[in-house]
Amino acid sequence: MKIDKSTVDYIAKLAKLSLTDEKSEKMAKEFEAILTHFQSLNNADLDDVKIDYKDNIKPVFRKDETSVFEDKKKLFQNAKSLEGSSIKVPKIIE
Amino acid sequence: MSFETIIGLEIHAELKTKSKIFCSCSTEFGAPPNAHTCPICLGLPGTLPVMNEEVINLAIKAGSSLNCRINNLSKMDRKNYFYPDLPKAYQISQYDLPVCSGGYVNIESDGITKKIRLNRIHVEEDAGKLVHLETEPYSLIDYNRVGVPLVEIVSEPDLRSVDDAVLFLRTLKSILEYEGISDCRMEQGSLRCDANISIRKTGAQELTTKVEIKNIGSFRELQKALEKEEKRQRELYTYGEDYKIIQETRRWDSGKGRCVPMRSKEDAHDYRYFPDPDLLPVYVSEDKVKGIKESLTELPKDKYNRFITEFKIGEKEAEILIDDILLSSYFEKAVSLGGNPKAILNWILGDLLKLLKGKEYIDSIPVPAEELNKLISLINDGKVSSTQAKEVFEFMFNEGKSAEDVIKEKGFTQISTGDEIEKIISQVLFDNEKSVQDYKSGKKQAFGFLMGQIMKASKGKVNPAAAKKILEEKLM
Amino acid sequence: MKIEEMSAAALREAVLNKELSCNDIVKAYFERIDKVESKVDAYLTLCREEAFKKAEEIDEKIAKGIPVGILAGIPIAVKDNICTDGVRTSCASIMLEDFIPPYDATVIKKLREEDAIIIGKTNMDEFAMGSSTENSAFKKTKNPWDLSRVPGGSSGGSAAAVGSLSAALALGSDTGGSIRQPASFCGVVGLKPTYGLVSRFGLVAFSSSLDQIGPFSKTVEDSALLLQVIQGNDDLDSTSFKGDIKTDYMSSIKDGVKGMKIALPTEFFQEGLNSEIHQAVKDSADLLKEMGAEIYEVSIPITNEGLSAYYMISSSEASSNLARYDGIRYGYKTTEYENIDDLMIKSRTEGFGPEVIRRIMLGTFALSSGYYDAYYNRAQKLRKKMKEEFKKVFGEFDLILSPVTPDLPFKIGEHSEDPLSMYLGDIYTVNINLAGLPAMSMPIKVSKNNLPIGLQIIGPEFGEDKIFKAAYALEKKLSLDYLRRDI
Repeated sequence: MKIDKSTVDYIAKLAKLSLTDEKSEKMAKEFEAILTHFQSLNNADLDDVKIDYKDNIKPVFRKDETSVFEDKKKLFQNAKSLEGSSIKVPKIIE
Repeated sequence: MSFETIIGLEIHAELKTKSKIFCSCSTEFGAPPNAHTCPICLGLPGTLPVMNEEVINLAIKAGSSLNCRINNLSKMDRKNYFYPDLPKAYQISQYDLPVCSGGYVNIESDGITKKIRLNRIHVEEDAGKLVHLETEPYSLIDYNRVGVPLVEIVSEPDLRSVDDAVLFLRTLKSILEYEGISDCRMEQGSLRCDANISIRKTGAQELTTKVEIKNIGSFRELQKALEKEEKRQRELYTYGEDYKIIQETRRWDSGKGRCVPMRSKEDAHDYRYFPDPDLLPVYVSEDKVKGIKESLTELPKDKYNRFITEFKIGEKEAEILIDDILLSSYFEKAVSLGGNPKAILNWILGDLLKLLKGKEYIDSIPVPAEELNKLISLINDGKVSSTQAKEVFEFMFNEGKSAEDVIKEKGFTQISTGDEIEKIISQVLFDNEKSVQDYKSGKKQAFGFLMGQIMKASKGKVNPAAAKKILEEKLM
Repeated sequence: MKIEEMSAAALREAVLNKELSCNDIVKAYFERIDKVESKVDAYLTLCREEAFKKAEEIDEKIAKGIPVGILAGIPIAVKDNICTDGVRTSCASIMLEDFIPPYDATVIKKLREEDAIIIGKTNMDEFAMGSSTENSAFKKTKNPWDLSRVPGGSSGGSAAAVGSLSAALALGSDTGGSIRQPASFCGVVGLKPTYGLVSRFGLVAFSSSLDQIGPFSKTVEDSALLLQVIQGNDDLDSTSFKGDIKTDYMSSIKDGVKGMKIALPTEFFQEGLNSEIHQAVKDSADLLKEMGAEIYEVSIPITNEGLSAYYMISSSEASSNLARYDGIRYGYKTTEYENIDDLMIKSRTEGFGPEVIRRIMLGTFALSSGYYDAYYNRAQKLRKKMKEEFKKVFGEFDLILSPVTPDLPFKIGEHSEDPLSMYLGDIYTVNINLAGLPAMSMPIKVSKNNLPIGLQIIGPEFGEDKIFKAAYALEKKLSLDYLRRDI
């Protein structure tokens, strides 16, 4: 199946990436290759395999208890722009 | 040509847990920005989620009280999209195997019971909060709300009028409140509602293009927004221009008083759902579901009926009580402590309601139920007059003191017996000889005048019944 | 024997017997690093000050007679995708070049509790995507056996650190072979534990259902020692195994292989496999036979579809796991932008390397293609089928032997393009990740041109003890000296 550049551009938008035209063209070919992988999966004989999530019937829960991460300064030490204790970003228009 | 309105609601309610859904940060409202955050809810590299057991318990409770089928097995999925208030760039939600399926809520409207079906109830995590300042070129992000557990309740498009939609939401809110599932405070955002509305020719079977309405902040806004949109769509239909109705999302703008089309958030509603590989499927045994079902308390509708039959109160009064879980539980407590239902009801619907209206939302009634009962018995014993009691109650409400303390401190006592009354009455009679003569010569109104003077002289502290008796004796 | 030549077990003995101080050990290792690191480039961050400080603390404890941890004084290198509180963790990416985690990964907490000394963070392929460590944004690590060749990847730095005697032990991560392949290329022991045995909390996620942290070491015994420390249930990781696990590998490690049934899958030995490697593996099998094991050549249906499932699952999960990097809360932030959307797009495009971008695009496409709904389930079914097939095999056999790589370490910049080799390379490793099984790579021979050859020993779920037993016996029998003293 042929993948065209517009598909690649759409995916780039979804992934919040920007690709040059050259890279987009190259990526289109790679997408085609992935589809062959899907085809290969389609051909596998899996009729006798059932996925019903019952393989793991022991759920993992935690108790409803609170705890505090005290050192907030450390927690936000990697944020490049803060205002007070809030993260600052360019104005978002909703 | 007649048309009918079709409405479906999508409700998000914050679950009443102490900690967040995937980490142990507090869910408490009102903290300074980013006070309730940790590496996990901030989605820092390397962090992983672990499910809060209570979230599932409350979701099952919600499903049980709303007549849903509880799915023993459900799973968590990632809903992928980019937005600054979403730290991981995906929301952990439930896609095709939610905790609860189906369900319904009955509403009483136009004299009949209408069954409004639900599609599903699922759990998911909330996102952060964006703060936009008018004059600044930037926005601020507060991640306190990230990871607060939500249930999303989706109704089928069974609602046929705006009034029904509002009533449905009220009924749902009431149930969630009474079962302790959520605080349901729209002004705090613990209850949110989006609506879908469409119009079609009466009798048609298929659903038509629907418009989604967002940013509804209160019941009033829900009413107004739906009415406005209903009007807009109906007009278009009436003039044969219904093709102009497109599937879109509109934002209720309370300032403008109408639903404004939202600037299309880049096409992609491609959420690329897939099962979250960091979490295991959620499995709850039949026993656990049963246990939760059994822990359900009386539903609001049933409580309403019980109030009417057991305590013989009127429908209107019962409705006011039930509508506010604080009032109804207060009433029940006071009655359970031995108080007189009618008297308690009067105080609640009268003075208490008046005082509550003056306050912003409060979590609990500042007058303990036993204290109200005490006040009522003090009135009955004649220790304080009913007029005085109103003032006493106000002090009790505002200062949190007991009835007896207020009475003592502020000097509210009713004089019922003894020398004091005698003295006051004697003095009044002495000062008002003409009236006494008038009464004795047959002018009955004079009695009332004298009573008035007695009350005045005693600054209202005299027990009227006792004073009347003594006055009668003296005038004989 | 020089300090840096000693095994971790020997160092531990020396420390407990007060023959060596922790300071002696750290000093020796940093001297070694100063000598060879400029040639090998295994490290991205060195923790000199902290290491000496910790050494001092432990020496004081020992002087006072206070009991110390199992790894007391042992210098350990950590792959730079494992979060270390207060120490830069970059995943070899510009995106996290200045990221300082405010918390320790669970495995790091465990290391600290046992008084291990973290001496540095090692180089890797960016975000663990790659098999040569050439995809690092910062430097290329060299193979200690031949500095013109790659150390393998993505845990190339950790493998090279142990291989060049610049660390006594190291931690790496394996999603599709990223511990085993570099271990083989660098002539060291590398183990990928059973999925769920070691907590992933604090491991920067690549593909959540495949990632596992594992040990690099000079010897098999050291591998078991380190695994014992880092394994175990973690309440912070829902996928970490909550059942009973073996906590003492040492008591059975010397038991030998008598009576063990070992399978040699015929599918692994086909065209594309380097003949020296082929022979080396067969020779090792013979040695095990001499020691009392039973070797069987069997056919295991290892199919193509496993690879398809692997690519689908790993790229899809990766595209989602890497979406959080947008410059807003941490990480690389572009300098010029018009609005927040622009900020996010530019930060991501500039912060990620080409291979990472490629994988994110592929994964996003896979999830969005409209095929995913149908095919994700098929991929999961395939995984389940594979697990069941391996389970059947392990019902009959104790272990499976295979090559680790089809080729000897290649030259930097000259990645093998032969599709058959690439295919085989994947076949040897990724099916193991898909099935969640444990597997070790251990050095068994040196090629004619003096490059190390590794053997892969695959075990049943939570059967690490069996792997250790066989590997230990083989190691003792081979009695090889693979220490790269001169670099």
